[in-house]
Amino acid sequence: MVKLKKNGRITSSALFSAAPILGLILLAAVFLLIAQIKDVNISYSLKNILNQSIITMVVATGAIYIYTLGAFDISLGASMCVSVLVGAMAYNRTGSLIVMLAVCVGCAVCISLISSVLASVFNLPVFVTTIAMLSLLNALVLVLIKVNGTGDVIQVPADAVRDINTPWFKLLVLILFTALCVLTFNYMKLGRQEKFLGGNPLCAELTGLSAKKLSIIGFAMAGLGVGLGAFLTITYAPTLSRNTAASVGMDVIIAIVFGGMPISGGARSKIWSAIIGSLSMTLLSQIMLMLNMNSGVSQMVKAVIFIAVVYVSMLSSKKNILPR
Amino acid sequence: MNSIVEIRQMSKCFGPTVALDSVDISARPGEILGLIGENGSGKSTATSIYAGMQLCDSGEMFFKGKPWKPSSMNDALLHGVGMIVQENGTVPGISVAENIFLGETKSFMKGPFVDRRRMCSEAQDALDRIGADHIRAEAVTASLDFQDRKLIEIARVMAKDPDVLVVDETTTALSQKGREIIYRIMEQMKQTGKTVIFISHDLDEIMEKCDRLTVLRDGKIIRTFEAEEFEENAVKAAMIGRELQGSYYRDDYDGSVPDEVVLRAEHLNLGNELVDLSLELHRGEIVGIGGLSHCGMHTLGKVLFGNITPASGSVEAEGKPVRNEAEAMKLNIGYVAKDRDTESLCLEASIRDNIAIAGLDRIAVNKHFILPANEKKYVQKQVDSLSIKCRDAEQYVSTLSGGNKQKVAFGKWIGRDSQILILDCPTRGVDIGVKQSMYQLMNQMKREGKSIVLISEEMAELIGMSDRILVMKDGSVKKELHRSSTLCEADVIEYMI
Repeated sequence: MVKLKKNGRITSSALFSAAPILGLILLAAVFLLIAQIKDVNISYSLKNILNQSIITMVVATGAIYIYTLGAFDISLGASMCVSVLVGAMAYNRTGSLIVMLAVCVGCAVCISLISSVLASVFNLPVFVTTIAMLSLLNALVLVLIKVNGTGDVIQVPADAVRDINTPWFKLLVLILFTALCVLTFNYMKLGRQEKFLGGNPLCAELTGLSAKKLSIIGFAMAGLGVGLGAFLTITYAPTLSRNTAASVGMDVIIAIVFGGMPISGGARSKIWSAIIGSLSMTLLSQIMLMLNMNSGVSQMVKAVIFIAVVYVSMLSSKKNILPR
Repeated sequence: MNSIVEIRQMSKCFGPTVALDSVDISARPGEILGLIGENGSGKSTATSIYAGMQLCDSGEMFFKGKPWKPSSMNDALLHGVGMIVQENGTVPGISVAENIFLGETKSFMKGPFVDRRRMCSEAQDALDRIGADHIRAEAVTASLDFQDRKLIEIARVMAKDPDVLVVDETTTALSQKGREIIYRIMEQMKQTGKTVIFISHDLDEIMEKCDRLTVLRDGKIIRTFEAEEFEENAVKAAMIGRELQGSYYRDDYDGSVPDEVVLRAEHLNLGNELVDLSLELHRGEIVGIGGLSHCGMHTLGKVLFGNITPASGSVEAEGKPVRNEAEAMKLNIGYVAKDRDTESLCLEASIRDNIAIAGLDRIAVNKHFILPANEKKYVQKQVDSLSIKCRDAEQYVSTLSGGNKQKVAFGKWIGRDSQILILDCPTRGVDIGVKQSMYQLMNQMKREGKSIVLISEEMAELIGMSDRILVMKDGSVKKELHRSSTLCEADVIEYMI
């Protein structure tokens, strides 16, 4: 909960902390206003927003573990695409949704672990291995579709996932995963250590924390989010191609920054940033859609806002530093 | 005589904290003006505003009689006011030469390219001029130790030949050689009619070097002493607003300790830094390690904590090997690093985060779960017992004064009840009030049967606190001195050099 007042006065640092939630409220107000003016079906639009944002929310919530370390995973989208395809193939072989879920999650976690273990073994920055993984996974997507697909796609029968393609099921997955992340991040040693490591790796080392172990666990948590996101993607759009989840990686970065997460990670990292940011980003997209902006313009607007948010957050942290 | 530096009615607040309250400071040409006060008294804030690091909320500044409002530290330096800051002021990933000419790449352009050869040559000249010729201008700054990085800053500032030099609590980061360099620069500036504003917590040093002494307390000017008025107790009383009660160092001269060895290092070797070094630390003993900055004592601290693996030799505590930091912590060893802001603390985290992180295994329920109430109680106990000045435990460490930051670094290890503490320059950059409380704390820990390795460049501190002093030179122990009322600094220095 953000405390805005201190000694009865609203402080600027409190305002900065509350900015993401205030931004979300503002966007929601603008959305409702435009929906009223344009006579848009609000409940339909809200359902759309939920459908669009929930997958980003799940992936971004897991990815918080990576960003907290001050690390960066450029291969999240490709990892999700591979997980989606492998999960669909598993369903087509077994006809079991549980197997599909397990394969999606297992595949995504394995990919994450490979990135982080390779980085640990070769002592490389993690983002370097994720660049290599991106290339590898993109190639794997092409191979999977060519070998197992029909034309350019792999399909799961729509009937098979109809029962779980409901807002309630998606919300349940989100709530359970977020609860797990909040618990481990805020109320367990793991989360405290991850944040501290992201804040000052050298000091963390001199406090007995193992950067390699924490990095591997962080990536595994992110993989879990990607796997769940992959499963929800199949239930939402069971016809899967090489473009499935293509924008997830970028959406996650933007969402996390929108949600008030410092791009350098550390102690100020919050799980809620993923939820707030994903909702804000989807609302913004929806508003721009209602204003008939084409996708190119809306991408540009997002980019400008992204830079502005990063700039303002850096300005805020600089201002708060007392020389001694 | 007209003032070259004049600050009038300067005020500055950081949120609810009043850092400066209508402060007037003036310094004359050909003078070394000392600024002294407890941590958080406003010395660094006032001088950093004058040197262009930040803006004041209200007040006026004058330089050579004209209004003065530098837009940045570089701007101030180019116009004649340079500052050497307390903590790291260099960029680690670039060369020494690039650090010396930071922000001035344009003046080294040769067509579209930077003339690196000329930049390095001029940087080397700047280093040679201040007597730091052992540093190569082409070297990557990150490969140098804390002292050499400090010397780079000094070279950077002196390359611009400033009229006013602010030296902010720099000398404690330097060994004797480094201190001599900066003292010589200060004296040269004074002789050539220039001005030095010198901030230090070392009362002897500041009274010896300064012509006048301005005392700040809680953001206000308390008094300015002329040279003939310098008297240690009067200055101390002005600084802390009361007489210092109780002893400063230990007042006993009993260096006897139990036979039980709690930490043992045998035949440690690591390049030139450690050469066949062995030591034993007994229960309830304070072992002082002294020497020149490059004698290997700082490396020894890290080896004892398992952070650096020696090429050969071993470290054991309670009969078990110490091979990494996690093993050291399991054996109840704590380590406070010399480079406080980089190695001991996470600045952009709260006091709670910093103190609790080392004690998570103590706080956790079922080994993993952290209950906020338990954590709060654990941290608050340290905040109270160490008298950390803060709004609450959620305050970010970056907003604390140097002394309070150091208390947080101590609190990390005291909170988890470390039985062995390795303290590398634990009182660097802290005022006498905090120093006294830290010495009292060390003494209390000794009485409780805890053991301390005290690595220090301050002879008085080593002599005043240690049961034994191991004097190091070139990576090995040259002399072991035992606690005695007759032990003096000359005895230690004799074996250091």
